[in-house]
Amino acid sequence: MKYDALVVGGGIAGMESSLKLADMGYHVLLVEREASVGGRMILLSKVFPTLDCASCISGPKMSSTVNHPNITNLTYSEVEGIERREDGTFRATVRQKAKFVDWAACTGCQDCEVACTVAVPDQFNYDLVPRRAAYIAFPQAVPKKAVIERAGTSPCTDTCPAGIKAHGYVSLIRSGKYEEAFQLVLDATPLVGTLGRACYAPCEDECTRGDLEGTLPIRRLKRFVADRHYDQFAGPGLEVAAPTGYRVAVVGSGPAGLTAAFQLARRGHGVTIFEEAPEPGGFLRYALPEYRLPRDVVAHDIANVTALGVTIVTNTRVEDLAVLKDQGFDAVLIAAGTQRAIRLGVAGEHLSGVMSGLDFLRAVRQGTPPDLSGRRVVVVGGGNVAMDAARTARRLGARETTVAYRRSRDQMPAHHVEAVDAEREGVAFQLLVAPVEVLGDDRGAVSALRCTVMRLGDADASGRRRPEPTSREITLDCDVVIAALGLVPETDAFEGQVDRDAGGELGVDPTTLQSRVPYVFAAGDVVSGASDITRAVGQGRRAAHMIDRWLHGEPLDGFAALDDRVAVVDKTTVLARQQSFTHRESVAVANVFSSAPHDFSEVERPLSESDALAGASRCLDCGVCSECQECVTACPADAIHLDAHDEVVTVDVDTVVVSTGYRLFAADHKPEYGYGVYANVITATQMDRLLAPTRPYNTVLRPSDGKVPERIAYVSCTGSRDTTVDNPLCSKICCMYSIKQNQLIMGALPLADVTTHYMDMRAAGKRYDEFYEQAKAMGANYVKGRVAAIAEKEDGNLILTYEDIENGGVLTDTEYDLVVLAVGVQPNRDAEHLFVNDVLRLDEFHYVDEVAPDLNPGETAIPGVFVAGASSGAKDIVDSILHAGAAVAQAAAHLERSRTGVTREEVMS
Amino acid sequence: MSEARLRDRREVIREEPAMHASIVRALAEGPLTIPQIAAAIGEPPNEVLLWVMGMRRYRQVVEVPDADDEGFFLYALVQEEE
Repeated sequence: MKYDALVVGGGIAGMESSLKLADMGYHVLLVEREASVGGRMILLSKVFPTLDCASCISGPKMSSTVNHPNITNLTYSEVEGIERREDGTFRATVRQKAKFVDWAACTGCQDCEVACTVAVPDQFNYDLVPRRAAYIAFPQAVPKKAVIERAGTSPCTDTCPAGIKAHGYVSLIRSGKYEEAFQLVLDATPLVGTLGRACYAPCEDECTRGDLEGTLPIRRLKRFVADRHYDQFAGPGLEVAAPTGYRVAVVGSGPAGLTAAFQLARRGHGVTIFEEAPEPGGFLRYALPEYRLPRDVVAHDIANVTALGVTIVTNTRVEDLAVLKDQGFDAVLIAAGTQRAIRLGVAGEHLSGVMSGLDFLRAVRQGTPPDLSGRRVVVVGGGNVAMDAARTARRLGARETTVAYRRSRDQMPAHHVEAVDAEREGVAFQLLVAPVEVLGDDRGAVSALRCTVMRLGDADASGRRRPEPTSREITLDCDVVIAALGLVPETDAFEGQVDRDAGGELGVDPTTLQSRVPYVFAAGDVVSGASDITRAVGQGRRAAHMIDRWLHGEPLDGFAALDDRVAVVDKTTVLARQQSFTHRESVAVANVFSSAPHDFSEVERPLSESDALAGASRCLDCGVCSECQECVTACPADAIHLDAHDEVVTVDVDTVVVSTGYRLFAADHKPEYGYGVYANVITATQMDRLLAPTRPYNTVLRPSDGKVPERIAYVSCTGSRDTTVDNPLCSKICCMYSIKQNQLIMGALPLADVTTHYMDMRAAGKRYDEFYEQAKAMGANYVKGRVAAIAEKEDGNLILTYEDIENGGVLTDTEYDLVVLAVGVQPNRDAEHLFVNDVLRLDEFHYVDEVAPDLNPGETAIPGVFVAGASSGAKDIVDSILHAGAAVAQAAAHLERSRTGVTREEVMS
Repeated sequence: MSEARLRDRREVIREEPAMHASIVRALAEGPLTIPQIAAAIGEPPNEVLLWVMGMRRYRQVVEVPDADDEGFFLYALVQEEE
């Protein structure tokens, strides 16, 4: 793209520059970082000395800027770098930040704002009031379009292998929207109750609050909304798309199969699940113990699937995929899991009393548990199945239960919590032992397990130190040996139909999950090997997406839930947003443990509603937007698309106008004034908002308690003419805006006393001194003498200590109920980073340097680059507009010279 | 004299959605001032002001015209349209 001029910054100087150049016929690209042009001026109440409405003056200029045929506006965009080329022109890189709202469709109705569940400080009201993550910049915004503030994907959401929007349901719970939270999880998987109990919650490992007092109870919050939903509603409450006519067979009813079937059914496909076992659910029903996952929860979750019309055919083993094709299924998904237990592979394995962990757990769940009363049980293995088997054995009355594992405790693949819980229930651990032989008695029953003692050697391919046998052996006396060494797929029947590896895992494309037979897909543990429920859910979602696209003849891509997420936000960025954090105690885990458990009642206690609210309220909103989808639902124009990404464009321009404006002095850098410490100390920019037509409180209230203030003090020169904060310059505008506000306050609050404490009053300019005299005539007080300190009383009132110069220099204390700091202006040093291969020279105060401000105002040290407005020094609005005019005249002259090839010197001669 | 630092404003504002329910309960019996709401829900009035102003912005509460004799406005729940 090619433009004559690039204007950086859409404040009053940038708008003026753009309009003037555009009116001359030049094509202008205006880049503004916020979602609206207007800069600071549009936020003002009125302008001095005329007391004209700032919006009335600025609004038409904003509208003209956005609608001018020669101006291209890139709002919500940032210039990343400008390169000056050898021919004197420029190439700029501009990042168009993702708005997540289709502005062509957005009507500015604000429904997204009202629905949004994330509150953040409103920068356009200088943090006086909350706004939402979904927001329109301000009521007079031009263009009046919404954006959604997303700093990135929140770490909890980003890490979820199922693509569940953890931050989203946390923010919904925080807002009391429990059913909406359930529906958000349900959007990903029907297994809401299951994951609320049995997920290992990688989200909690990534929770930024974990870097403070401890993670949020994210998993238990999911359980909270699932329990609540299942208590109150009979079905999932979902609508299904119109029938497509396609039929899909799903082999296996574990987490991958159920999730895929659910997602396919929602899309209108006819789905039949074939399950080998008598009841559906796979490991959820047959392997996870009741104390972790009650069967009624599994039943509720499965009902979410069948409610959509999915047929589940049990007691049916699928071996021939072509038969399914012949039966009219258009696609087949194999989600058969890992049904085969790895054997011990030692002598004596045939003895009575040796069993696999999977068979053991399945027998218990089917109501036919082995009699373990008073018996000694050794569980071989260190994974979650081993922990489940050991804890189940304790519940069946085993006298002793020992987990024998060949590595160390910290190398156990079982989730840390599972191992700790097992220990709490009386399970013993015999570490660094590997079974050599199962010993039996003369009746052919187990009597002991002979083991080699291991030691840890060098690291293996997994990074863990490799266990190596020693010459020592031990014998563990026992009556039962449960082998929980791992699980592998049982896919022999599919040999020759689809690709299989030596371990039985099916070969599919890892992204599309499609096999070499186009209509056959596979997902879950049958592809990945034994993993966990949440990963299987993610695979099921992926498979459903890909099958749906394949059925419709579309490319197998576009799985945004996992493949195209916005980059994760950096935790240090999140923590840096706040100066301090209030300690918020983690919600306690109130599980019920017994060293001799005797039944299968659920161990984990549910969260109470107050605990759920307290837990959710600790969320730091890492990504800002939580992806709760409330805005998506609320938007009548279907304009919101949370999967948008930033776009970077490159433009060529002949000249650049820098109009990046100024920064305000950070008032807390004058600690003696108590800003940020005393509630009733505010800045003058905040007061301007309180006085503006779109004022956030609809009147002037003091922040400590909402009282209308009666005695208001202004402190001039806060952060200007002050070498203690390294700013010796006068900010030029503070005296006059203070006088303006004095007058407006006396109009808004006729009973209020207003006093300005000043060093000396600078009212130079047409009608400025008259404006000052007018304020005095209205009753405003002006006390000469710099304020030394401010202190707060218990009632929130403030004591100002100052030298009263006009009354003999007496050190005086005066009480007010609101203090306004007339903060100064500072350079915006963003400007110095604009150019990548040239230096935009700054003056000694760090404003953009004008090489000849008296002769050629606006001209910078880089040929072809001009500065407009307060980027080169503090200016009021009138001066900013004048300065922009001067800069634009320079820019236009530069454009004309560059086109004619005539130099300035040649023109002058 | 008080020297207690205010809580980080971002943190206070972030809690606004979570405070809606208790503020709505407090206002269910009738309009209240900011200090009265604060007393009812047991939270500091300066933080309650931020939460109420957030709710006001999004049309959940509205101020009753005219401040009382003490200089405080009363805030009431916005009745949802039928």
